[in-house]
Amino acid sequence: MRRMSGPSGVGIGWRPEIAGFVADLPGLRFVEVVAEAVAPAGPLPDGLTELRARDVTVVPHGVRLSLGGAEPVDPARVAHLAAVATALDAPLVSEHIAFVRAGGLEAGHLLPLPRSREAVAAVVANVRRARAELPVPLALEPIAALFDWPDDELDEADFLTEILDATDALLLLDVANVHANARNRGGDPAALLDRLPLERIAYVHVAGGAEAGGFYHDTHTDPVPAAVLDLVRELCARRRPPALLLERDGHYPPAAELRGELDALAAASGYPVVT
Amino acid sequence: MTVLAADTWGIPGPVFLRWYLVAAVVLVVGTAVYRFRALAGTPVPDHGSLGPQQVAYLNGGDQLAVWTALGGLRRAGAVGVHPDRRLATGGPLPAGLTPLDQAVHHAASQGLRARELPRDEWVRRALDELRDGLVRRGLALDPERRRTLRRGSILLGLLLVLGVARAFVGLTNGRPAGFLLLVLVPLIVAFLLFNRVPWRTRAATTALRDLRRRHTALRPAAAPAYATYGPSATAMAVALFGTATLWTMDPGFAEQAEIQRQAMGSAGSSGSSCGGSSSCSGGSSSCGGGSSCGGGGGCGGGGCGG
Repeated sequence: MRRMSGPSGVGIGWRPEIAGFVADLPGLRFVEVVAEAVAPAGPLPDGLTELRARDVTVVPHGVRLSLGGAEPVDPARVAHLAAVATALDAPLVSEHIAFVRAGGLEAGHLLPLPRSREAVAAVVANVRRARAELPVPLALEPIAALFDWPDDELDEADFLTEILDATDALLLLDVANVHANARNRGGDPAALLDRLPLERIAYVHVAGGAEAGGFYHDTHTDPVPAAVLDLVRELCARRRPPALLLERDGHYPPAAELRGELDALAAASGYPVVT
Repeated sequence: MTVLAADTWGIPGPVFLRWYLVAAVVLVVGTAVYRFRALAGTPVPDHGSLGPQQVAYLNGGDQLAVWTALGGLRRAGAVGVHPDRRLATGGPLPAGLTPLDQAVHHAASQGLRARELPRDEWVRRALDELRDGLVRRGLALDPERRRTLRRGSILLGLLLVLGVARAFVGLTNGRPAGFLLLVLVPLIVAFLLFNRVPWRTRAATTALRDLRRRHTALRPAAAPAYATYGPSATAMAVALFGTATLWTMDPGFAEQAEIQRQAMGSAGSSGSSCGGSSSCSGGSSSCGGGSSCGGGGGCGGGGCGG
């Protein structure tokens, strides 16, 4: 089987709402699709089939695996992720370091873990379980949080490094989250970059957000702020990741604006423009 | 009183049946051949050269062309609607307006209601202009050509009336009419088929199918980001997929302007592409030729599911 190459250059999160826009990006080499939105048994969404025919890399991005849950990951969900990866001929899949359910209750969204050794052990165990069933490598994405848990034993960098050291997982770094965490919980985002294993990065997420009520919210529905682009430049100056992906999940702007965001990302990273 | 009933109308049954059959075959074959040729049309080399309103006219006639113009103007922020359902204008007029856009915009500035648009004189004239252009390109049929096409079915109808009358009179007089009745059945089927005269050619149907496939991202089921796609693509979405697009894009406007909700084109069959338009005599009859209507359009299988 022909395996497509890993993510490279500037990409964009594929959503049905903007499938026509994404299809018209001439230089695009890489997109990401929400894994739960793909039914691997049925035919792929039209737009994705077209992108695959153009040899564009499509990375399934899971949001419901709950790797951070105390209980083992649901084998059916892992199987689904694996099937989507196969259907898309994906070089890797990604998931969040978070939990979305506990004790049978669904939170409906991603919740942050306390940064404890216990949580590290839980994540590591679940990553190993998932990895055993997945045909391709797994990239882990730390999420944004508005607050620190009171019993945090580790700081963000140590927490991530311990998980990555204990598994063969790659890192999916969300630059907007790094900015959000530093802005909301204090700390120097550049200092965090210095302490992360940047060589493990598979690709990075870049998304827009907005300030509200004294906090920075990682909304994915606003333009990418200059501070986040600055952080992209900081990251690329240290070690340029293989690929950067623009995430937009709603309130889609006119095409020209969206192209402008992709161009800004290309300019900040030094990768070729895709528009 | 005679023992044997006389031949109906003085013509012996076998003689009538023979000539009736000859007439039926000539009429059906003649009409079929004429239809097949008249509906072929001219293939479009580049489907991208068709504008949204042209596509709308081919897909759903006058009414859909008007909704398409209205959708494009709404997306561009050039029209609105008052609570009393009268249209209004606002914002700067976008560039590159078609005559139909201008007519609809003018009608909106006069405070017409959306459903009155097709009857507005300016709009009427713009629609005729739109149709004439499509007729010249071999995609739409002009009224005269449609009248001619209907003539075949009218003649067939007359022949049917004659046959039914003879069978009725004969049966009333106790004469056998089994063979005649047998001939009448396929004739009725042919009449029903030919009675439907489409307003577009098979070339247009092919073009529409290709355009639907090319614009699957604009299906209302995908909840397209119309702001990203812009006014022109939004208009194309109305043209290809019906006013469901307007309801998805701007439900408040669609409701207040009393825009008829219609989803079309998802199955690719022309039957569904006949929405509320009163001029919708055609549509499925373009399937008469057979091959032009197979397959299903841009949205087969699971692509629609998400």
